[in-house]
This record gives sequence, structure tokens and C-alpha cells, in this order.
Amino acid sequence: MIDDTTNTWYEQLAAYALGALEPGEAAEVEAHLAECERCQAHVRWLEPAVRALPEGVERRKPPRAVRERVMTEVRADAKGAEQSERRPGWLGWLRSGSYGWKPAIALAAVALLAVAFVGYEVGSNGGESGGPVVVGTQEEASGVKVEMLSEGDGGTLKLEDLRPLPDDRVLEAWVERDGEVEAVPALFVPDHEGRASTVIEDMDGVEVVMVTHEPKGGSKTPTSDPIVAMDVPQ
Amino acid sequence: MAIRREKAERLADEELMPLIGKKDPEAFEVFYDRHGGVAYSLAYRIVGEKGAAEDVTQEAFISLWRSGARFDSTRGSVRSWMLSIVRNRAIDQLRSKAGKAPKLAFDDEAILEQRPAPEQTEEEALERETASEVRGAMGMLPDDQSKVIELAYFGGFSHSEIAEVLGVPLGTVKGRMRLGLEKIRGELAEGLA
Repeated sequence: MIDDTTNTWYEQLAAYALGALEPGEAAEVEAHLAECERCQAHVRWLEPAVRALPEGVERRKPPRAVRERVMTEVRADAKGAEQSERRPGWLGWLRSGSYGWKPAIALAAVALLAVAFVGYEVGSNGGESGGPVVVGTQEEASGVKVEMLSEGDGGTLKLEDLRPLPDDRVLEAWVERDGEVEAVPALFVPDHEGRASTVIEDMDGVEVVMVTHEPKGGSKTPTSDPIVAMDVPQ
Repeated sequence: MAIRREKAERLADEELMPLIGKKDPEAFEVFYDRHGGVAYSLAYRIVGEKGAAEDVTQEAFISLWRSGARFDSTRGSVRSWMLSIVRNRAIDQLRSKAGKAPKLAFDDEAILEQRPAPEQTEEEALERETASEVRGAMGMLPDDQSKVIELAYFGGFSHSEIAEVLGVPLGTVKGRMRLGLEKIRGELAEGLA
């Protein structure tokens, strides 16, 4: 026989299992679960029903392009993870002029493209509470919108309005610190709506963030003009 | 050194995860081929349109690729973990597009891709059996019970929001959720538990 109190908890547990409680209510249920073996057993019993719900959806075959985009990024990422050695200096690469464009023009373009950095907080959770903080935004001449967020020791570079990439190309991000350029290990590609983002795990001392188009698998040094170049305020 | 695809195909999901954690693309490709279909289907069911479903699927798998080493087998199957990532991302996308109501209809008509039986793997056959069983269980529920479960799971609504949307007391929503979920659980074969 189940008493009224247990009945009340069981109703909360069903909503909890479905993820339908407000955060405060969920915390209350979790506190109760920590002490009540009967309710723990009931949640465990309900869980297979919740886990089964997505299995009942009408099956649709994902477009082949999704698989290709995922695997392009995965293969590039895997290769990038192997490339741990530090890259030669960004300025050195610019000065080398080995990729068919004029370093001085590139530097001038970078300077012209840089827009104001505002350093505002994201929503009400930014800044002091440890949430992500926007440290810079700009729009490149190509129309690509750039947003750099900082959180803890790392950061996230978000791009919008990117053009689709050929199948054999990926985006690779680079950071410059202490005059040296390093590749960001995770390569990335734009999604269906032209958005892309990459995480930069260590932003300490990063002065410039750039993005280039690279062949699948990434490159040890940039092989094309940057489509994004953003100074990071110190 | 990446594992050969033929060998990866013989591994269970839980055996693939350590390889994925070590950034083995062949292991991940096998994982995608096993679960990409259900992931995309779930994303489509929640966001209701092709482009958004593609983005959710792509983001979810990339997220899983990058966090594969953190998979904890004591907390459920890899497939459940992956589907929870898809659901969370799809719900986030739904919420971020203001004014876009979730698709609420639960289509009981299975439109599974038809292929000759010999090409169906044992896993696919089991998947279809499970899908059919879940649809059967959902189909047996009274509409008011299935609706609150759909709104919660596929729409990402809290029980308070559901009460407001349906114009019924919160207690009624809670009761329907509980009854519905318990009935589905009761209908599922023990093999799913």
C-alpha cells in the first residue's frame, strides 16, 4: 500500500525522470532521493521508459552530407591532436610570404578589420559569476561575424555567416602568444547555417586569434590568407 | 594507430568508447553509422525541420567525439548517453528560436527505411522491434497522458508550463505524467530494462 506522501513523491519522480521539473524542484527531489531507497528504486524502474521514448520516433535517414561533415571534422580533429609541436612564429610566417600574398597587406588588413572590443558580460551570468564574457566582436570584410568569448582560462571563438567549404577543406584556428603561432588542435567546419565555433583551451597570453582555410587534416603552419584575424585585448 | 573498420564493427559501443576517447576516427565512424539514424530522427522529431535537425545531429556527434573519454558506463548505455546529448541540444535550439512551437504530433505510422531483409543487421532488427514496442506502448495511452509526456520529453516543457499550455491544474499534469510513464514502463519488455 502506498501512502499519500509516497504518492506525491512518485508524481514528482515521474516529472523528474522526464526532465520536467524546474531546477529548484529537481534539487528537492535529488535531496529526497539521497535518503529514500524506495524512491531510488522507483526512479530506476521508470528510467527505461524514458530512455525508450526516443526509440519510438519515426525513423528518418540522415542526409549523407551530415555524415560527411561530421567525419571531416573528426578526421581533421584526430590529425590535429597528433600535432603537438609548437608552430613557428606568426610574424615569421607572415614575413615568409611563401603563400603568395603580401605580408604587409595582410597586416594592414588585419588592422583595418579589427573593430572595437567591448568586454561586456553575457546575460546576467557573465563576469563575476564566472560565466563566459565577450572579449571582442568584429565583422570581417567578407561579412563573417566573429565573437570571442572568454571563460576561466579558456575561450570560445564563434563565427557566423561563413560560406560553405569545399569537401577537402576545413577551418583551422591559430593563436599567437609571445611572438609564436600555435594551431588550435580542434579543426572545425561551418554548420548548415554558416556557423562554426572552436574552443581555445588556454587563452593565457594570447594576443591574436586567426582562422584560415586548410586542407583536410589541418596544417602545421597556415597555408592560406586568414579569413578572421582578431586582436585579443590583454 | 587507428583501428581497422572491420575490427571496429565487431566491437560493442562500450568497447568503442575507449578508442573514441583516444581519438580513433575509424571507431567513431562505426559509432556514427550505428546511431546516426536514430539521433537524426530524434533531432528532427524535436526541432521539426531538416536543416536544424542536421545541425543538432552534427553538433551532438562532435560533442560526443570530444567528450568520449568522459563516458561513464555505470550510468547507462552509450546510446542513451548519445540520445540525451541530442535531446538537450535539440531542446536548446528549439528554445533559442523564439516563437517556434514544438511539433506535438506523435506519428504512430512507422516509416522505416525499407531494405531487403538479408541486408538488415540483427541490431537493426532489434531497433525496429524496440521502436515498434515503444510506439505500441505510447499508442495505448489515453491522449491526455501521451500529450503531457510528449510535451515534456520532445518539447522540453516543465510540468508548470504544460499546465499553463493545456489550461489544466498542475496536479492533473503530474498525475497524467506519472500514470502515462508507469504504463509505458509496464508495457516494455524486461529486455529493455
